[in-house]
Amino acid sequence: MSTPGKLKRKAKGERPYFFDDPNIDRVVSMVMGLAGEVAVLHDRLDTLERLVAQHGGPARAALDTYRPDATVAASRAAWRESFLGEVLRIVEIEVEAMSSGDTQPYEQAIAAVENNGRARRQKK
Amino acid sequence: MNMPTENQAQAEHRALPPTTHDEYARQEFVRSFKEHLVKHVHGGNRAVYEAKVKPAFQQQHQRAPQTRFEVRDAMVREPHYQMFSTLLRTSQEMMWSSCQIPVQRNLTALNQAIAKRPKKARGSLTLDAALETPKYHTAVDIHCQPGGYHTEFVAEDASAGMVYDRAVYLYAMGQMGPYNNDIGASIVSWLQQQHPTFKPRRILDLGCSVGHSTVPYAQAFPKAEIHAIDVAAPMLRYAHARAEDLGVRVHYSQQNAERTNFADGSFDLVVSHILLHETSQTALQNIVQECHRLLGAGGLMVHAETPPYKGMDPFDAFLLDWDTRNNNEPFWARSHEVDLRALSRQAGFDPDLKFEELIPSAFQIAKAQRSNKFQGGDFGGGGLWFIYGNRK
Repeated sequence: MSTPGKLKRKAKGERPYFFDDPNIDRVVSMVMGLAGEVAVLHDRLDTLERLVAQHGGPARAALDTYRPDATVAASRAAWRESFLGEVLRIVEIEVEAMSSGDTQPYEQAIAAVENNGRARRQKK
Repeated sequence: MNMPTENQAQAEHRALPPTTHDEYARQEFVRSFKEHLVKHVHGGNRAVYEAKVKPAFQQQHQRAPQTRFEVRDAMVREPHYQMFSTLLRTSQEMMWSSCQIPVQRNLTALNQAIAKRPKKARGSLTLDAALETPKYHTAVDIHCQPGGYHTEFVAEDASAGMVYDRAVYLYAMGQMGPYNNDIGASIVSWLQQQHPTFKPRRILDLGCSVGHSTVPYAQAFPKAEIHAIDVAAPMLRYAHARAEDLGVRVHYSQQNAERTNFADGSFDLVVSHILLHETSQTALQNIVQECHRLLGAGGLMVHAETPPYKGMDPFDAFLLDWDTRNNNEPFWARSHEVDLRALSRQAGFDPDLKFEELIPSAFQIAKAQRSNKFQGGDFGGGGLWFIYGNRK
């Protein structure tokens, strides 16, 4: 049952987990939660810097009522885009490797430098 | 008020809950997160499928996968798909959370502001506390909005509507325009082009939620009497306030589209916007039957949805189906496989007057920037809407 006046935080329905170990899904969720809060801080600092430049020292109220204009909003969106690219780099890396034909097993690279491309004899 | 440019900020109106600096930044992050998934992560599923999953399946079965189920069985083991899915699910949860925070912070005052309407309202609001919320709304919270459309967390609550209006904008990543009205606006321009002499006098919008798709009809047909219904009181309270703020005349009432209290033949145009997939097999039949009852001779029924799976590549169907299992849209898949001709016939319509087509999005300017794909997590990205309907 819900507490009066408190919005429910979890949607009714079993939450799907996608990895064999659901803790991986949970860590992803935490990382993205953290990324979101970092982005919030980034915007806040960005606002502060712009207000300092404008007024030479902003009041807290000025910060809270600041709304980015279209140019500032676009530059922030671009920042977030590159920020997300960094945080989620690991997701894109395998796909990039595949499309560029970078699919050689690492063992082959060792073999190439160690004994001219011949695979090392497997130890029992 | 500055008018935002297309695909940028959501238009502010008095019903939309105000946000602090950080609340707004948190919501903007979710929009960027979703855009990033669409632009840079989603496509990797197809790449993995073509490079690995399909060849492996072909080797094992001497043929390519033929159904979305075969694709799914093979894809769910793929790390990229697993990561994409967990990110998309997380983005959905963060979206609702980021929209709830400013509403929770100021719930009492916001509800009071919604309840306090101008004395000379253009439209009206009629609630029915005795109306039963259908099982397809209470089984799970649809598309993961905590509490769904219907839950009232305090008396006279409109919070679900406040949360939803902002979340729709973030979910569509602005691809439905600053007023989230693209689906309604697209049907309006389709009507104006395909049926230029059609001047509906009475229009009904079924399952209207916050009325974001209803408003374009009121703007395009200012002489028409516009009614809009929903089962959820919190949505309707908000919808009424929103329509009044936007200066349009809409009569909202709390009713189930399966059986309304309007008279036989009392409408020229009955519409719905992505309603059908949030009902059930039985309800769908009932709703189309009700449309038939409500329309006068020559009247039009038009339902907008994402396109049916029929003829779709099994991989595309698999990805479009993501929401069925992973975003609390249990009827999504089945509703995309319904025999629409049979549906029309069983409801009493002449199936030869049935139509289904893809219509262009009213936001043509934004179209060039879109992914031009129908894909899970990229709502509105297709640049087209699917409509199904029937003339009576």
